[in-house]
Amino acid sequence: MAKTKTLNKRRQSIRSIRKITRTMELISTACYRGAMDRAMSAMAYTDRLTNMVRNLAGSGAEVSHPLLVEHPETKTVQLLVLSSNRGLCGGYNGGILRRAVRRWNELTGKVESAADQKVENAILDVAGKRGISYFNFRKVKPTETYTQFEDKPAWDEVEMIANKYLEEYLTGKIDRLEIVYTKFFSMSKQAVVHETLLPLSELGSTDDAKTNDADNNINAEYDFLPSADSILKEIVPASFKTKLFKCFLDAAVCEQIARMVAMKAATENADAMIQTLTMAVNRSRQSQITGELTELIGGVEALK
Amino acid sequence: MEIKCIVVTPEKVVLEKSAEFVSLPLYDGDYGIAFNHTPVIGRLGAGELRIRNGENTDSYFVSGGFVEVLNNSVTLMTSRAVPVAQITKETAEQAFAEASAKPASTVEEVELRNAALQSARAMLRIVNK
Repeated sequence: MAKTKTLNKRRQSIRSIRKITRTMELISTACYRGAMDRAMSAMAYTDRLTNMVRNLAGSGAEVSHPLLVEHPETKTVQLLVLSSNRGLCGGYNGGILRRAVRRWNELTGKVESAADQKVENAILDVAGKRGISYFNFRKVKPTETYTQFEDKPAWDEVEMIANKYLEEYLTGKIDRLEIVYTKFFSMSKQAVVHETLLPLSELGSTDDAKTNDADNNINAEYDFLPSADSILKEIVPASFKTKLFKCFLDAAVCEQIARMVAMKAATENADAMIQTLTMAVNRSRQSQITGELTELIGGVEALK
Repeated sequence: MEIKCIVVTPEKVVLEKSAEFVSLPLYDGDYGIAFNHTPVIGRLGAGELRIRNGENTDSYFVSGGFVEVLNNSVTLMTSRAVPVAQITKETAEQAFAEASAKPASTVEEVELRNAALQSARAMLRIVNK
């Protein structure tokens, strides 16, 4: 009797958990669409910027900008980690933080094998509550923490951070800016990557920037206002900002994908569990009924 | 005899429409573009972007960025593009006050402050028109 009741209770609770995970799956699907759309529209800007850089380079302008030049000595390295604000997204944060901690230990010289990577001064910035609490647990104090980035990172907010890094790099407060985040390759492939954003390695181009050469092959003779060099000088910071913005967008998209996958798996597991529990409940009810019947028949027999 | 005008920000494509005449704020003043304009790449300043098509004129406030003119299409890449109707006197004045309050003790800070001031002044010019 008691067994059936407890089994039923468990089945009920798993049913409600399933409802929750299923809803979260649907929500993250919707969020993913939104994030993906934003990433796509951001591409329009990056592509155009890349095209423009190419046109400028075609005109023979020399690119020289303090942001493209490596500092002679790398003393201070800024590490930026993009994690998520919320959990329940499978291995998403775990992967990022493992990678981030490894890099952090290299920079601070805690790992013997990577002694040459050690720098005098390492600064840690973390975005996302998950990462913040993780580093707190490891007794590493981040200099800056950001929690305002949900699934919709806004350009204004990212620009503010970008300006801060630009200023610090230009004034020599930091000699390198590194970032650990999840990069979006396709719907079925995302990977944790560790990249160096400053000094900028190349201008404007991101790996997946489309090359729409078709309409650019005309080799137009552009007029530059005021001059190709001065435009390039303006483009360099803009290109850094878009790069950083793209990192944030990628991270948002990947978080939603990770959550979608995790919640889908959870729902499926709950389904399987409900099935086994239903079976157990039915068995125990049946055996209870059988037991009662035999008792009844036994009683009737005894009265005869 | 129409030109295509596209405005993109890092977040989205704000506008994509055809026009007869486009006037945009370059770093040193307004710049007009009509049909068959020569290819140009230019640096934008802060100010009003006007897109005229027949009787209609659309106005946007843009601040900073680049413009590319090629084959009768005008592409503006800017970090901000807001319809002028959305800018009120209060927001403009607030932007100006914020810009004025910025510190200006180093060369870089002065530059940042000047850029912010310029953008705020352009905003004020538009609302006071």
